[in-house]
Amino acid sequence: MELLPQALMDGIMLGAIYIIIAIGFSLVYGVMHVIDFAVGEWIMLGAFAGFYLTEWTHVEPMLLLPGVFVVFAAAGYLFQPLIHRVLSGHRGNPLLMGLVFTFGLGLMFRGLAQTFFGFYSHSIPSRFSNGSFFLQGGGFSTTVSSVRLAGLVYALAITGILHYLLKHTDFGLGVRALAQNRDAAGLMGVDNKRTSAFVYGIYVGISAMTGVLIGMILSLSAKMGPDFTIFAFFVVVLAGMGYLAGVPAAAFLLGIIQSFFLIYLDPGYTLLAVFAILYTILLVSPRGLFGKGV
Amino acid sequence: MRDRRLAGCVLAFAATLLVPAVVHDTFLLRVFTEAVMWIGLAVTFDVLAGYAGYLNFGHSAFFGIGAYTTAILMVRAGWHFAPAAAAGGAAAGLGALVAGFPTLRLKGAYFAIATWALARAIQQIVLMMDITGGPDGMRLPALLSPRFFYYVMLGVASVTFFAYWFLLERAPFGLKLKAVREDEQGAKALGLNPTKLKIQAFILSAVPTGIIGGVFAYWVTFIDPASTLGDLVSDQALVMVVFGGMGTLIGPVIGAVLIFAFKTLFWAYLSDYEVLYLIILGAVIAGSVVFLPDGVLGMLPRRKEAGNRA
Amino acid sequence: MKRAAWLALVAAVVFASTSRAGEKRDFFKVGVVTELSGDLATGGNVTKRGYDLWAEAVNKSGGIAIGGKKYKVKLYYSDAQSNPSQGAAAAERLITQEKVDFILGPYSSGVTIAVAPVVEKYKVPMITGSAESPLIWKQKFLYTFGTIPPVNFTGAAAIRTLAGLSPAPRTAVIFGSNDTFSKATAEAFEGAAKKSGIKVLKFNIVPAGQDLTPLMSAAKVLNPDIVAFGGHDEELIKLVKSLRQIDFTPKALLMHYGVTEPAFVEALGKDANQTFGGAVWTAAEKTKGKILWKDAPTYAAAAMKAFNVPADYTQAGSSAAGIAFEVALEKIKAAPPISEAKRAELIKALETVDVETFYGRVKFATEGDYYHANVGLNPLTIQIQSGKVAVVGPGQSAEAKAQYPMTRWDKR
Repeated sequence: MELLPQALMDGIMLGAIYIIIAIGFSLVYGVMHVIDFAVGEWIMLGAFAGFYLTEWTHVEPMLLLPGVFVVFAAAGYLFQPLIHRVLSGHRGNPLLMGLVFTFGLGLMFRGLAQTFFGFYSHSIPSRFSNGSFFLQGGGFSTTVSSVRLAGLVYALAITGILHYLLKHTDFGLGVRALAQNRDAAGLMGVDNKRTSAFVYGIYVGISAMTGVLIGMILSLSAKMGPDFTIFAFFVVVLAGMGYLAGVPAAAFLLGIIQSFFLIYLDPGYTLLAVFAILYTILLVSPRGLFGKGV
Repeated sequence: MRDRRLAGCVLAFAATLLVPAVVHDTFLLRVFTEAVMWIGLAVTFDVLAGYAGYLNFGHSAFFGIGAYTTAILMVRAGWHFAPAAAAGGAAAGLGALVAGFPTLRLKGAYFAIATWALARAIQQIVLMMDITGGPDGMRLPALLSPRFFYYVMLGVASVTFFAYWFLLERAPFGLKLKAVREDEQGAKALGLNPTKLKIQAFILSAVPTGIIGGVFAYWVTFIDPASTLGDLVSDQALVMVVFGGMGTLIGPVIGAVLIFAFKTLFWAYLSDYEVLYLIILGAVIAGSVVFLPDGVLGMLPRRKEAGNRA
Repeated sequence: MKRAAWLALVAAVVFASTSRAGEKRDFFKVGVVTELSGDLATGGNVTKRGYDLWAEAVNKSGGIAIGGKKYKVKLYYSDAQSNPSQGAAAAERLITQEKVDFILGPYSSGVTIAVAPVVEKYKVPMITGSAESPLIWKQKFLYTFGTIPPVNFTGAAAIRTLAGLSPAPRTAVIFGSNDTFSKATAEAFEGAAKKSGIKVLKFNIVPAGQDLTPLMSAAKVLNPDIVAFGGHDEELIKLVKSLRQIDFTPKALLMHYGVTEPAFVEALGKDANQTFGGAVWTAAEKTKGKILWKDAPTYAAAAMKAFNVPADYTQAGSSAAGIAFEVALEKIKAAPPISEAKRAELIKALETVDVETFYGRVKFATEGDYYHANVGLNPLTIQIQSGKVAVVGPGQSAEAKAQYPMTRWDKR
């Protein structure tokens, strides 16, 4: 019992990382219907951008996040037409084509990263990563790491901003229209190409910032991508593919499951439990926890 | 026309029988053996991906189940290779039956990810068990006869290929499966049983994959969870199928041969540029999706159709 | 058309394979099978640096002296791609196509176990400068040797050193990542702790590559004196950060290989300090080498000059693998190319090698569970002190006093 608050806290902090890995990914799936296999590689590239920028400028990496976002969002925006080309036209099974295309892309990015950044693991130094504070009350106590808390705040902020963008702006209206019915949205004057490019840009930007945070909280290396790709997939599937509102709940659930297994049950079976639970939930509710996936 | 193609395949098969007579270099025979293995893995992957429209990211699970079943039976129970490998195929088929019922209800991306989760779960189980050696893997008795393994691998792959040919291109099964792929409700209305058909396809894909896994284990003499149950098998089979041409039998064969040849030549003769390998492979895959949506095979049919009409 | 393509392929392959056999040459062809790409590329490239440095040094000295004539060495690399079956293919290619005289082996134990039967079949000797799993040696491969003692031989020493500190640690939490090397490390730690009278409060093998913060939270509640972890580079970095984030400083933090990797200190900065580790060699060790390098610092300086990366014990062990071949070759006077009969002789010669090198004593066991592993070395306990690797045990090997208990994270 003594550990319960800590177990929850660790799970929530882990969940926060999963939110930011998965939320842009879910958005892109909802709008463009592409499963981006390169999500982990975007995270990795963002992490390296953060790492080198911190090394050169000695600026607190938290302050670099907006810059990283802008650069990567621009890259994503410019990149999207290529994916659009793969998904449209007379190809059978566009879902699969998008998947294979981004898979190839991911390999390429990983190869490039290994060539230019080398094989070693790094860590992004941050003022936040040094601190932690101790919460106590009512016989319970828990340690909160500042850098993880910053990650949680960031995750919630991103979720809030995306929510606002989608529900309360014209851009968001266009995005939602596109997600529901591409042809009808086109007739209503939504510029499919442009909107999709914006969405993809936002996603790449978020993923890159996520990479910087992961570099601060955990570590970074050229081969880190696939580990995060798999978790992005799992969170998004649990949430229901393309159902953005489900992402935080699914992410926290996954984080807490992992944390509880590591603390209370046999740590050796943590990942097995994660995979088994994911599999079971898919069978019971094939469109995610809330049954709202597309 | 189809029969002419089949004749071509039989001839090509006859040519492959002669390979060990011509190639005396054991390393090259190893390369040929592995090429045949990948042909088998690509073709089995395509039964589900191309014919049934289901992307199975857990293909490696069946390969690994076959490899581990064979290894456990040979090492721990003292079985001979042949029955052990057959048992490996049976175990993989059983796995497909058990996993297929619930998973095949899932659509597109959900199925892909469910099978991926399943493969990862099996990898974790193998890592935690004692009988499998956990992370240490298993060492099998070494039978270092390149010809033996070449012929065994070729036997498994070609029996699979021709059985598929019959079932998918000649028997009604292939048409039924395609009908389910295109329109499941419609197929139901026609009196077909989509669930049964899909599970049959799943098992059809899994059994040879398991046997190939078993042959692989005995051939390489060492298996561990990373190399047999990792993503390599699924990923590479997917790439070969897409590159060669999905939904056909010849496409995966061409894809497997071309991708494997590229991979091997690069590895053997350009190893100084090994760092570029991933970059080039990635570019080839991404590029082939953009420029060759129907795979390499997609470049050919127009000419063939014209020939057919003439 | 397809048939033509097939025939062309076969023809090309046959042409390519028409062997260059029966050639006469005045240099040694040395095959290297290691992980230059894939998940284990970090370690594979460390071995590559070691092998490269050896070859460069040998050639600079004129070559290996056989009967008054000096023969240079030329390395032929083949990438195992971090995959056992690819490793076996790599060895077969080097042996049958390149006709190498002998082989310098892989970084990882898994690839080594898959390569061993191949070199056994062709009767080509192999020395791995890295693989540390005890499993390799239990297989008793005649043609496979290794310069680094198995981890159960080295891992225990670090625990014994810790047990001798004052105030003596009484409790420990031990866990390892679920891969061959890390698991063996954790088990070695556990066994040694029990023998030294340290109570093991918690022992777990955990799946590789996940965030272990919750597990550290559970450890923190038990408040052990020692936290010991078997894992690889990236996992070690994440673990230290986890401990720091939950603000738990045990009296001693022990890991194994990876602590001496430059990336560890580079990534963690001052948080890396005071971490204990196991090693069989350090750059400052007082060794007396007769061949190529006179002692460890000379080697370390040469390595630094060549690669601009500090050398660790895997790199040193890899260079020492080359030296072991050198000694054995000179002994049996085998000029290249080496025939099969000569290679069998080479095995016998390797079994009798007993030589002091910059890396320490190289002597391969010829029986028992360590069959053909190097048992000439004394395992060392090291600690990161001010960003440098310092030997703190056992006994007279110590060059610095262990900093113990650890300084709290926030007091650094």
